[in-house]
Amino acid sequence: VMVVDRSGTSADSASSLEVASYRVADVRQATQMRLLKGRLEVNLEEVRELALSEPAVTEVQVSLVRPGESVRLANVLDAIEPCIKADSPETTFAGILGQLEPLGLGLTNRLADVAVVPLCDFRSTHDVDREMEAPIRWHSIIDMDGPGRPYTHWGSTTNVVLQFTCKSDDPLAECDRAIRRATAGVARLLASATIGAPADVTETFCWDAEAADLPGIAAIIQVGADEPLLDTYFYGSSLRDTVPFLIDPREVLDGALTAGAYEYSGVRNPTQFYQRNKLVLSLLRLHGSRIRFVGVIPTLAYVQSNFEKSRHAMIAARLAKSLGATGAIVASYGTGNAQTGTMLTCRACEAMGVKTTVIVSETNGGLIDHVPEADAVISVGNHEELVREWEPEATLGGRYYDVESNSPIESPGPLSLMGYFGSSSQMGDTCLRTVAV
Amino acid sequence: MKSMHFLNQFFAGLGGEKAAKQPPLRLDGAVGPGRKLDMEISATVVCGDDYFGEKESEALGQLLQWVEDEKPDVLICGPAFAAGRYGYACGVLAREVVRRGIPAVCAMHEDNPGVLASDGAAYIVPTGESVSGMRDVLLKMSDLARAVAEGRAESAPPGTYLPRGRKENVFVEKSGADRAIEMMLAKIAGDSYETEAKPPLERVPVPKALESVASVTLALVTEAGVVPKDNPDRLEQCRAKGWHSYDISGLDSLEPGSFESVHGGFDVHVANRDPNRLVPLDAVRALQREGRIGRVDGFLYSTTGNCTPAARSLKFGHEIAQRLTEIGVAAALVTGT
Repeated sequence: VMVVDRSGTSADSASSLEVASYRVADVRQATQMRLLKGRLEVNLEEVRELALSEPAVTEVQVSLVRPGESVRLANVLDAIEPCIKADSPETTFAGILGQLEPLGLGLTNRLADVAVVPLCDFRSTHDVDREMEAPIRWHSIIDMDGPGRPYTHWGSTTNVVLQFTCKSDDPLAECDRAIRRATAGVARLLASATIGAPADVTETFCWDAEAADLPGIAAIIQVGADEPLLDTYFYGSSLRDTVPFLIDPREVLDGALTAGAYEYSGVRNPTQFYQRNKLVLSLLRLHGSRIRFVGVIPTLAYVQSNFEKSRHAMIAARLAKSLGATGAIVASYGTGNAQTGTMLTCRACEAMGVKTTVIVSETNGGLIDHVPEADAVISVGNHEELVREWEPEATLGGRYYDVESNSPIESPGPLSLMGYFGSSSQMGDTCLRTVAV
Repeated sequence: MKSMHFLNQFFAGLGGEKAAKQPPLRLDGAVGPGRKLDMEISATVVCGDDYFGEKESEALGQLLQWVEDEKPDVLICGPAFAAGRYGYACGVLAREVVRRGIPAVCAMHEDNPGVLASDGAAYIVPTGESVSGMRDVLLKMSDLARAVAEGRAESAPPGTYLPRGRKENVFVEKSGADRAIEMMLAKIAGDSYETEAKPPLERVPVPKALESVASVTLALVTEAGVVPKDNPDRLEQCRAKGWHSYDISGLDSLEPGSFESVHGGFDVHVANRDPNRLVPLDAVRALQREGRIGRVDGFLYSTTGNCTPAARSLKFGHEIAQRLTEIGVAAALVTGT
């Protein structure tokens, strides 16, 4: 039973999102869950039992991993920031955990500098290549120390790591759903320690229609939604086969958009990068003073034909235009033909008079695709660059695989940035960029 | 400081085209233009242009062996000026020795295919197209070679060597999101801003149409990752490292089970039921029987376009085009996915 303290609720919470941040300097094992002067005490057995309550999960190992420890996390699936809807905990991660309510309104408590990180080597229990439509390329790591640590955000957070083993005779999709549900559940459980405690900082996000005379800016965010394990979810359901539509930016910050795509993890968007999306946060903070943020438009990456790519590009651009956008920031996702979709979206926007900046990652050879209209490009990193060899004292998450050859890595040589979880995420959440030399 | 030099048959004084099949050769000391380098050359390795072009892996194996035995502080390749085959060999050899920890300096014209072949590994002194500036180029190469061997190349004045096309990661203060918003506000306001990534240099002009395909040889080229069954050359499913040619001379069509696509960028199941839909050999043969297509080259030229960077794709394109030109192919049907 969760205790709800309504004293923090503000009068206009029905029309705004309040995010109360609780900084966590350390997480410790304890018999009872509580938050005390920046120290989160967690009963790891309680965490384990919650994760194990999923029928498709046969075993969960819970570990606390801190920055500076000689540990590599392998087969990282996602990272979720602990959060809870303080006034209605049952609506946290609506669509995934429980009661369906619109997110992005009311009071949300979050634990800063902490992440729940699920690991799973599906290959130890499933013939993944047979169950998947396309061969999957995994090599998803977080280094808590060594040369790779700065490249991934979670090298600097205290991580509650959940190592899952799933039932081999349950379909991969069901196992994945169980892991995502369990991870969100643990994130809510940890954040429940904030209920009744004073926040370090509270920020209020309004998104009203005032500011009509300011330049309208849209955020067009590509997401991948192809099949289970290569998916993005909105209120718990896959975005597969959708066309670009409008999302209230505060829904993005409040856990409505979640990740479930585990391939090429360097250029994917972990859930925590939606929850604390820097593009959305900055645009919302400028809303009403310098710009009018017209909203977030998700559009599918990897649609499978020139016609479909052009169609999605056109629909996204048309929506931005009809929302009154003067400009659109077009964020890419993944690599390869997804970046062709980004460039076509840029072209479609510019053709309708919507000015664009494009966010993409690059390769050793530079851009994968380009249109002349893309004259304002932000490069968030060369995902092919190698990170120096490092041998950790411990590796959690099982055997991991080379992203190019798909074969297990036996000796730790230099690894491509592509495998460092969220290192070149193209919504602009990191401070990496490329320079030509 | 110990330096080594790489020459082709012509600059080594062994002869022109007639000596182009010269297998790799190791000579003590400096040879030909190497004598005019302002530094001591401990050994010179030589390879004929055609030998390198036709037996690249054998040539490379032997040359690398000699370089590794000698352990020079720097390898000097060229100058190759506009000589495409020699430039290409310089670029490939330089790239491979750099991968083995030995720095390399080349000199050639910026359009020489060797620039792309070096894959950004070598420091390349830009030259004109002809050998007329030889003396000046050799002095520039000597200075740069010393700088490279001593780790000072990065501080050389701009223009000392061609841009190496590397994209290096750096951490900056502002997030990508905030940089994107700033650039957007500047663009809307009409203020100046600097894009962080520019497209590759080359734009391909549309060629003149052939009057007739009935009188020329047509070649089939693809980036669809089409290979003989079981992928004998291990063509990559993404970020291809090379291209391959496969004998199709006796074939009327690409039969499922004999050919397949290993492309990782699309679901190949449907295409593999009929590989002719990736490379339309069946349709080409039908048109050939009608006399609308003349001869068809006996090889399929194949690579994977999936995530392959533009610079590397340009290199493959140059190499394939050069091969086709050399064997007299006048038209290419290039299919993509």
